[in-house]
Amino acid sequence: MGHGKYIAPQKGKYQVAAGETLELQFVVLPGESEDIDVSVDLTGPGAEVHLKGLYLCGADEKVNFRILVHHLAPGCHSTQLFNGIAGGAAQVSFHGTIVVAPDAQKTEAYQENHNIVLTERAKVETRPQLEIYADDVKCSHGATVGQLSEDERFYMRSRGIPDAQARRLQMLSFLSPVIPAGREAEIEQALEKLQGE
Amino acid sequence: MLEIRNLHASVEGKEILKGLDLKVGPGEVHALMGPNGAGKSTLAAVLTGRPGYEVTEGTVLYKGQDLLKMTPEERAWAGLFLSFQYPVEIPGVTITAFMKAAVNAKRKAAGEPELKAAEFLKLMKEKMALVQMKADFAKREVNVGFSGGEKKRNEIFQMALLEPSFALLDETDSGLDVDALKIVADGVNALRSPERSAIIVTHYHKLLEYVQPDFVHVLKEGRIVKTGGRELVDAIEAKGFDQF
Repeated sequence: MGHGKYIAPQKGKYQVAAGETLELQFVVLPGESEDIDVSVDLTGPGAEVHLKGLYLCGADEKVNFRILVHHLAPGCHSTQLFNGIAGGAAQVSFHGTIVVAPDAQKTEAYQENHNIVLTERAKVETRPQLEIYADDVKCSHGATVGQLSEDERFYMRSRGIPDAQARRLQMLSFLSPVIPAGREAEIEQALEKLQGE
Repeated sequence: MLEIRNLHASVEGKEILKGLDLKVGPGEVHALMGPNGAGKSTLAAVLTGRPGYEVTEGTVLYKGQDLLKMTPEERAWAGLFLSFQYPVEIPGVTITAFMKAAVNAKRKAAGEPELKAAEFLKLMKEKMALVQMKADFAKREVNVGFSGGEKKRNEIFQMALLEPSFALLDETDSGLDVDALKIVADGVNALRSPERSAIIVTHYHKLLEYVQPDFVHVLKEGRIVKTGGRELVDAIEAKGFDQF
């Protein structure tokens, strides 16, 4: 792992049985390239999985997410929220797939992936995918790639917050739904590092 | 305090301010009135350094300094404050975190030590009482889920906390009911002093009943076309802006 780069949970394959809930949180901080491959099978009725991810990538790092959530049984619920920031000349890809099997009626599946690109050299590719073979389901996905809002930053600066600090606050704001409790200070330090690039 | 001379400014290549002159002395409150599109908000934007506004001619001196050369944060440190017409939402950032960053940045710029957490919270409480904010306000995310009135009260709260020497209120009264308007007016009046000045940009006369201006200006087509006292407000109320 090195540099405490990303902490639990792990890449790999997971199965969630009837009535159980799995929650995974991914944190990727600047320092290394990483491939994160995760597949989750919801195998029994009422199974749930909730995935959250935060990634900060700089330098010439390559970070790739491949996330597969497979709804195999009826009445299962899955959520995914991945927010990340790419600076330097980082290359990030997010491939997220939700598959809803023919038997998996009453499925609820949601996926969101939002990205901020800090430099012209940084690249983000996001590809959310839904494959639905059942007819009574609630599914949605959304993906965005954008930049820090100038209006928001001007509001902060007009209150006296210096530009660099305002940018960090904006990034913290953007990441806030996916920051694990108690790790705010660590994330803020990582943002400072990313800003230096 | 503030001296604007022959100010010309454009947005996206379109000239909005066309030779504006205005002088505001210490302790003075000036009301700036005018029809839509006259340039009121553009003036507020130019004075606070909003990106996207280009000054093509003229000068602005603030406390003897060239204001237009300063960054937005430097202007804030020098005591300038803008109450936004449309306050911005910042999800995930609490009012406390936001204003602590602002207050301490200003103190740092003035060579003063940062406030300790307890000192800051005490100050927050005091100012929250001024605009009648409930206790949970401190923990709320900046402007997220706020009603129109709450957003404007939040602007006045921030102003009270930063204690600016020059306040620009850009249509702070628009969309407020009478009770909220009264709270906003009380907040503005509480800051009035012989050293502090303000420009109140407004369409309406209502706020000016509560906050008595020393001077009233009519802005039309990017220039000030008429200056007077309180009686101008009544004239506008009676006959509109077409008379100028």
